[in-house]
Amino acid sequence: MSALATTKASATRARRTLGWLLLAPAVVLLGAVVAYPVGRLLYASLHQLNLVDPAATRFVGLANYAELFADPNFWHATGVTLRLALVTIPGAMLLGLVLALAADSDSRWRWAVRLALLLPWALPPGFCGMMFAWFFNSDYGVVNDLLVRLGQTPRPFLVAPGPAFFAVSLASIWKASSFVALILLAGLQTIPAELVEVARLEGATRWQRFRHVTLPLLWPSILVALIFRSIAALQAFDIPYSMTQGGPGRSNETLAILTNTLVTEFLDIGYGSALATLLLGLSLVLSVPYLRGLYRSHD
Amino acid sequence: MKPRLRLSNLAVLLVLLNGLAPSLWVLLTSLKSDVELAQRPITWWPEHATFTNYLRAFSEQPLLRFVGNSLGVAVLSAALCVTVSAGAAYALAKLRLPRPGLLLTLLVSAALCPPASLLVPLFEIMRGLGLLNTWLALILPNAVLSLPVCTLVLVAFFRTIPDELAEAALIDGCSHFGVFRRVVLPLSVPALSTAAILALVNSWDEFLLALTLNAGAHTRTLPVGLMLYQGEFTFPWPVISAALVVGTIPIVLLLAAAQERVVGGLTTGGVKG
Repeated sequence: MSALATTKASATRARRTLGWLLLAPAVVLLGAVVAYPVGRLLYASLHQLNLVDPAATRFVGLANYAELFADPNFWHATGVTLRLALVTIPGAMLLGLVLALAADSDSRWRWAVRLALLLPWALPPGFCGMMFAWFFNSDYGVVNDLLVRLGQTPRPFLVAPGPAFFAVSLASIWKASSFVALILLAGLQTIPAELVEVARLEGATRWQRFRHVTLPLLWPSILVALIFRSIAALQAFDIPYSMTQGGPGRSNETLAILTNTLVTEFLDIGYGSALATLLLGLSLVLSVPYLRGLYRSHD
Repeated sequence: MKPRLRLSNLAVLLVLLNGLAPSLWVLLTSLKSDVELAQRPITWWPEHATFTNYLRAFSEQPLLRFVGNSLGVAVLSAALCVTVSAGAAYALAKLRLPRPGLLLTLLVSAALCPPASLLVPLFEIMRGLGLLNTWLALILPNAVLSLPVCTLVLVAFFRTIPDELAEAALIDGCSHFGVFRRVVLPLSVPALSTAAILALVNSWDEFLLALTLNAGAHTRTLPVGLMLYQGEFTFPWPVISAALVVGTIPIVLLLAAAQERVVGGLTTGGVKG
């Protein structure tokens, strides 16, 4: 081996060693905050483990999961989560698309438009829930005020299950749509203006230009936004919790709220862990398309 | 040309109204007195604007402490997150480790774990370590929450740095770590600050973990603290609104100062929705 080759090999080794060393802190952090907790989660989900009576801890196999599938509260929370997802995912995508199209123009209001798209995204979802609880207040809320002005009867929004679901959905759509809009706006701005211009000169109407030029080119961004929206919708917690604490009653109790209640109120760690494991599994399944895309674009 | 111009103005108005009106309504509410609030029909513009709600927001609950806690947790978790993800991103983008795509995907997938799932074991672990109701109980998970977005933003940036730069520094006798620290990092200040801003916002917003891991009177963060203004049957909306405005001002300032960065970072590393 020539001297040059030896130097080169040792330089490669030094580079790789540094690579692993720089990667190590991330691995340690993920190990401590994700991998080890997930291990404990799986372990706890297979045990009867209640903090009210820690001495009674014992291995129960899949009994917690069996109990979960027989628990009407679990199916109720699953239903709420799915209904919320089915309403808020298309709602946020649609509103996000409208906002992105509306914001996609070179106006001198560019700065303010950006701020108006960013603020709902950056606002803590817990704040957002409280704000919308106020807007939907039966007596002094602005929503009922507008309804009265339009000649409608005011509604007791947050104290009846159906209207509360509507209010929670609307707050969630508002909050999520700005993230969707920001992703789609970035997508829109990569579409060459000439392409749309050519279609216009060819006599395509505004709708035809959108349908046959813009939309197909925007599709990748729509998919990205859709995946993130779905993952987030599955984990819905902050807005329903801060608006109505999952209520009235349990009517808006999502899976994440139920997990939180089981653990923090009933201290039923084993049972809560089975539910948390299920949530984790579902979330991973939903992440697969995104992760596959990520892997393809980086390997 | 004229009608088209009008349509685009209308579109701008729609975006502004959608994004800003809810927060402005809260701002208007915070300036109304309790008496005015109880008027029917409700008033839109405050008749006699008053700042007493702000005084009450600071005196009825330790609002300043909530802000301090949120800020402390956000700054420290963002610092931890950016430090850790800068190293990882550089290793994956430039140091030619085997299967960088796989490593990156594993890293991102681990960090995409739902906080609701981690809540139970993290609660037990933090309790075991005596860290419940401390900043640290939130700093560690909040740093992980932003790890994917920060790593993706930094990987994308490091890839744009030409290899010749590192090679020249190596020939000049710089070590590989020296290249990272003295050549790459100084060049990356814009990308590092983008990553830091995204991590700050994520931590500022975190609610679920904070509610359980850090609900102590002295260490609780803003989203948890703001829940305390409501009694069991009372909702002092003007005071709550004032507290919400106080909690929103730092975000508005950050967005006003760095909106290009936030938009750019969100779209390269868009992970949180």
